[in-house]
Amino acid sequence: MSVKEARDAILHAVRAARPPAVAMPVARATPVATADAQPSMLDAFVDASTAAGAAVVLGERRDIARLVTGGVADAANVLSTVSEVRATVELASDPHALDSLELFVCSGTLGVAENGAIWLATSDMMQRAALFLATHVAIVVDAASIVPTLHEAYARIDIRAHPFGVFVAGPSKTADIEQSLVIGAHGPKELTVIVIGASALQTP
Amino acid sequence: MSQRSFELPVLGRPAPVDHAAAAAAFNADVARTDWHDDALWFVREKRDRAAALVPDWEDLRERASAIKEHALSHLDEYLVQFEANALANGMQVHWARDADEHNRIVLRILSDVGARRLVKSKSMLTEECGLNPYLEANGIEVVDSDLGERIVQLRKEGPSHIVMPAIHLTKEEVGETFHEHLGTPAGLSEPIALAGVAREHLRERFLAADATLTGMNFAVAETGGFVVCTNEGNADLGMALAPVHIASVGIEKVIPRAEDLAVFLRLLARSATGQAVTVYTTHVHGPRDGQALHVVLVDNGRTKQLAREEFWGSLKCIRCGACMNTCPIYRRSGGHSYGSTVPGPIGSVLTPGLDLERYASLPFASTLCGSCTAVCPVKIDLDGQLFRWRQRVIEAGYTSTTKTLSIKASVKLFDRPGLFRVAGALARFGLKIMPRSVARFVAGPWGRARDVPPAPGQSFRAWYRKNRGERS
Repeated sequence: MSVKEARDAILHAVRAARPPAVAMPVARATPVATADAQPSMLDAFVDASTAAGAAVVLGERRDIARLVTGGVADAANVLSTVSEVRATVELASDPHALDSLELFVCSGTLGVAENGAIWLATSDMMQRAALFLATHVAIVVDAASIVPTLHEAYARIDIRAHPFGVFVAGPSKTADIEQSLVIGAHGPKELTVIVIGASALQTP
Repeated sequence: MSQRSFELPVLGRPAPVDHAAAAAAFNADVARTDWHDDALWFVREKRDRAAALVPDWEDLRERASAIKEHALSHLDEYLVQFEANALANGMQVHWARDADEHNRIVLRILSDVGARRLVKSKSMLTEECGLNPYLEANGIEVVDSDLGERIVQLRKEGPSHIVMPAIHLTKEEVGETFHEHLGTPAGLSEPIALAGVAREHLRERFLAADATLTGMNFAVAETGGFVVCTNEGNADLGMALAPVHIASVGIEKVIPRAEDLAVFLRLLARSATGQAVTVYTTHVHGPRDGQALHVVLVDNGRTKQLAREEFWGSLKCIRCGACMNTCPIYRRSGGHSYGSTVPGPIGSVLTPGLDLERYASLPFASTLCGSCTAVCPVKIDLDGQLFRWRQRVIEAGYTSTTKTLSIKASVKLFDRPGLFRVAGALARFGLKIMPRSVARFVAGPWGRARDVPPAPGQSFRAWYRKNRGERS
């Protein structure tokens, strides 16, 4: 079995099978987001994020530590990439060591109003594992970073910039037993979304 | 009540799937059939509400369809582009012509590093390839980590739905399975408690895994990366912990650009479960430090389907399952009745392409109502394809003698106006004197659940002559 042989055979078969060429559709006309649309997008984001099961809190950067620890005040095992929250566990070189992590705090790049998702990207394997191993995850996102839909989101991010990037909307969940919603399937049982800078948004 | 969706290698041809017989067996339990029907319809209604909230929904469907048609009609170019970029991103790329080649590639990757414990997230492709029994026969412990998939794996069944693998099971049945395999107390059937036990059980497996295998929802040619969507975070835990990651994908899943993801992701979860987006939409563009990341591109009949002028559009499928949730036949016959990895309308147009004789009954598992086509987010003309597969089945002679003879008789009857008039008169007379039960018997399967209407006093032709003059 040669790798090249299979590759060439498949590509040959694809070329022989190709349907008549269909043109790529022209790019979608994206309405230009204006600053005065930001407060209503924030409302939509909060609604969508809450619907996805996240606890959403509004505040300022200086409040982050207080807002995060509100739900898990006595967390002993904390990992944080946000300077306002102090980590209690040291970054080891093996992600398995994070199995008992109680709280992971990090920052998102942007939020999506339409679905409540937050984009996170990292090259750090420990942060990546922490996002799924921690019982409670808190993500800080700036109100000014919220975009209307995924179209605007993909226009702003470079998915190739890091080996790992993810849109997160809510805590992990499953409905695989009789369609009953269960929060906390494999990953975090709680997700807190901290939206900062809402008061600085221009009100219409 | 069910069987695994794959077949271990056997000599000779496997028996053809008899969907009607399997559906009849499923329908024997009326209350359960109603329960299954309602469960799926509930998901269909959630999908409707989610779709209605998106003002440009129909534009998105048009766009998604066109992007897929463009990608499929340039598939060789996008595969080559994806491969080059994936290699540049530090992935290793493998190509598999068929299921057997795919399975051997996966086993070799595992054997090369001495991996014994594999944790998988959902991949219909590996179900299609029969990967689990192949690896198990070769000494690998395989754990499906999606909760629904784990449930059916413990029960030695295949998934009955591509998005909700255990939708056919009651919580009491899941409770019994967990009692038997995971030691939960007898009688425990509360979903939160059961899911909590599964979480602990699977967390141990994630931590102990030597390797992980995921599917892909989308492979992006322009960036050489791929996207995996889950609600549970199971694919992510596998990828974040295991030193080896294998991602298997059908070649039709390649899309051109990152920006195209926005179109598909706005449609996918809304169509599948009525969520605005899945909890995790993970983008992978390279291995973690020290991790090996293998991509396996699999044909297994896809190029044959691509070559079929009438059916290549079925390869646009993004595996949302909306066509199953809406299908009156799927809802009332269950996923296992199709005897195919992918059931429902989309399964009934994809699977006959693999083995027409074996799956000849699937294109007939439909009322041709077209509801599947109406909900499909990538606008596959499912009912049209089902209809065309029926014609291919008849041409190939894979229908029962009764059906062939009755169709031939109908052709003769409708071809001869005189004979048709005589037959009509006989039928009207017969229906008048026949007891209802006999009339229902004569009506065949149609009469099993319906009464036969009383015979009209005259033919339409006679009525027309009387009321509309002598023009005919």
